Amino acid sequence: MSDPVFIFLYIFVFPGFLFLFAYAFFLAYLDRKIAARMQQRIGPPIFQPLADFIKMLGKEVIDPDGVDRRLFDAIPVIALAAVMTAFLYVPVSGASPFAFSGDLVLVLYLMAFPTLALFLLGWLSRNIFSAIGGIRAVTQLFIYEVPFFLAILTPAIMAGSWSISDIVLWQQHNPWLVFLQPIGFVVALIGLQAKLERTPFDIPEAETEIVAGPWTELTGRRLALMHLATELSLVTGSALIAALFLGGPMLPWVLPAPWMNAAAGFALFLAKTLAILLVLSSITVATGRLRIDQLNDIGWKYIASAALVQAGIVLVINYLWVVP
Amino acid sequence: MPEVVVPIGPHHPALKEPVNFRVIADGEKIVRLELDLSYNHRGIEKAAEQRNFIRVLPLLERVCGICSHSHATAFAKGVEEIMGLEIPPRARYIRTIIAELERMHSHLLWLGVAAHEIGFNTLFMWSWRDREAVQDTLEEMSGNRVHYGMNEIGGVRRDLTPAQIKTALARLPDLEDRIQKYVGMVNSEETMLIRFRGVGKMSREEALKYGAVGPTARASGVDYDVRRDDPYLAYDEIPWKVITDNHGDVYGRTRVRVGELWESTQIVRFCLENIPAGPVRVEAPKNAPEGEILSRYEAPRGELAHYIRTNGTDKVERIDIRSPTLANWTSVAMCLTGQNLADIPVIVAAIDPCLSCTCRMVVVHRRGGRAVPGTAAGESGHDPKSRQDGWRP
Amino acid sequence: MSVLREMIGNFFSRPVTIRYPWIKVPIPDTFRGRVANTDELCIGCSKCSLVCPAQVITMIDGPRDVVFKGKTLARKKRPQVDLYKCIRCGLCERHCPTGSIHLEHVHAGTGTDRDVRVT
Repeated sequence: MSDPVFIFLYIFVFPGFLFLFAYAFFLAYLDRKIAARMQQRIGPPIFQPLADFIKMLGKEVIDPDGVDRRLFDAIPVIALAAVMTAFLYVPVSGASPFAFSGDLVLVLYLMAFPTLALFLLGWLSRNIFSAIGGIRAVTQLFIYEVPFFLAILTPAIMAGSWSISDIVLWQQHNPWLVFLQPIGFVVALIGLQAKLERTPFDIPEAETEIVAGPWTELTGRRLALMHLATELSLVTGSALIAALFLGGPMLPWVLPAPWMNAAAGFALFLAKTLAILLVLSSITVATGRLRIDQLNDIGWKYIASAALVQAGIVLVINYLWVVP
Repeated sequence: MPEVVVPIGPHHPALKEPVNFRVIADGEKIVRLELDLSYNHRGIEKAAEQRNFIRVLPLLERVCGICSHSHATAFAKGVEEIMGLEIPPRARYIRTIIAELERMHSHLLWLGVAAHEIGFNTLFMWSWRDREAVQDTLEEMSGNRVHYGMNEIGGVRRDLTPAQIKTALARLPDLEDRIQKYVGMVNSEETMLIRFRGVGKMSREEALKYGAVGPTARASGVDYDVRRDDPYLAYDEIPWKVITDNHGDVYGRTRVRVGELWESTQIVRFCLENIPAGPVRVEAPKNAPEGEILSRYEAPRGELAHYIRTNGTDKVERIDIRSPTLANWTSVAMCLTGQNLADIPVIVAAIDPCLSCTCRMVVVHRRGGRAVPGTAAGESGHDPKSRQDGWRP
Repeated sequence: MSVLREMIGNFFSRPVTIRYPWIKVPIPDTFRGRVANTDELCIGCSKCSLVCPAQVITMIDGPRDVVFKGKTLARKKRPQVDLYKCIRCGLCERHCPTGSIHLEHVHAGTGTDRDVRVT
């Protein structure tokens, strides 16, 4: 555990950054492919997201007039770093070696960074479309973040731990939380969709209304890194929901060899994240964009109340049935 | 929040055509709107005055890509009336078939664009996929997907072969099935209802006051269609009905358009099945006698009017094209005030704007309010201030 | 709900996109393609050049004897088409008295060379 080589490999190779990048590009490809096939199109080839990333890295970086260049450069990097760090705490093939009690809160905190980064980018761009997009991003943040947090924290209440790895371990001996808290699961999926700013929640970057929202003035490597941060958020978010609600990478029983356990866990991780991606892609394909005032209505009226109801139910269950 | 100016166009992803709105918004609410239309004056009317009746038709087709047949037919119809030509019934039926196929492909295109404006790209892909069937039919009949080149003064250039009628009829059931699905989707799909209902509301009185035409007016309950009220081509021989709706919002306009899609399939089916035999054109004289006419035509977007004046030569002396989008613009500017910023694309798209067809150069003198068509500076050139002011609508 | 049913149906059916350069689409017989002139039939009447809306047909020197309605004519001019400006309206074909100038039923583009012209 404390072996520096193991830590190094965990952070940088597997299941750390190298795997994370590869999987993010793969999920981005799969997302586009699924959407394309549902619309009876062919869709992109498998290396398209990687090719886009490399292409954008090589493009010219244009500084909008009167923009703080260093801050503009730093924001995408910060967003990217936050999401990459968050991923280290999410169990991939077994419990994360960095797990500590309370890492769930840290992960949620880090996951909120890209949205804040978008708001800052929009504010800094000195462009009316970016500014409106940034305001919309932060308005939307206030709407979805509360139900999302509530939905994510109910598993923690039920499992009696604020550590993701502990919640996963708890599910090894108990039913998956998706069966115990179906409402929370749905709210968490909706919250994740909103966090990733995909339709119907792509209000901040509404292409036909405000060009690209906060992304309008991003060029070259800034755009590439910001895109990468969003793609990584997709991986981290779906891995988080898989861990919290679908039992994560743990089998209900223990296999004879440790490597078999790890391999089976990894396979489970892949299967669960892909299933979540399929749901998210289907939502994207099946819906159009909401308006920010409509989202405000729906978010506070229905989604937040659903999350509250779920929290209440969990408290009642916990009271009646004392969880071991 | 203080008022901000959001410039929309001439380069904007929602508007693929050259127009500039300066939307003055208070937060997400639109306070008022400044329109600047004439970005793309192409001088088509002047060019049309230089060409004889044979050569002018391909030019007029190119006024608009989507309703190319509308412009050519409106012109040919007018000139034939001046010449006193009666075109053969078969030619009238062929013109009607092409016109209704054009309406179908225009409305399918519009449905996709409207869905795209609210981010519902799936319907966009689907309706454009189904539009291909219409375009294929048009290509088989006329030889091209966009500029059909079917009209000439005195009839149509190509006859329909029995094989073409058969393949066109074979394509129709599939298309009818798809259009029925879209009718269902428009009426029941929550993601579209939530963005279309109550958006861009316009009452019947307002529609009449601002001179809206076509589906925009019919969605506000104005029961007016040139095809029925001033029948041309074969419309008085075909059983069909005018679709109206009294919602008056974008939802109503969508309902009118999908309803018209269905009517169009029925008109095409009737025409293909009952097409009379005979010649497809009569020999037209080279010169037209002196005269003037206002030729009206129900284009997919609304009433299209061609004012034609001839002077006894083989060219027109003056042609003035009033495209339906121009008639609908004022209603858009009215609808947008007080709406949400996010609803601009969908309200603008709801009239199915075709801006390059609309751009006509008109300079209005502030003093006196006289319109001088076709001149850039007019007489106001001496007074720089009024010249600057003259551009603002 | 109909959207959901349609989505699932599409997901398991083949895409409608045609991979164009590899799969050729059938061209209808009526297709208006590249302009071509059959030199043996052309009597050099310049009608095509007069009706052309884009004014891309110029009459150039092309002396030749052609048979028209049983009589041999000594033709002086022949049409030359600037394909880059051609709008493929088909008016030249419509007004040609001998059917010599016509539109080919090919999807091929005009060419990559600015000087490519057909005659």
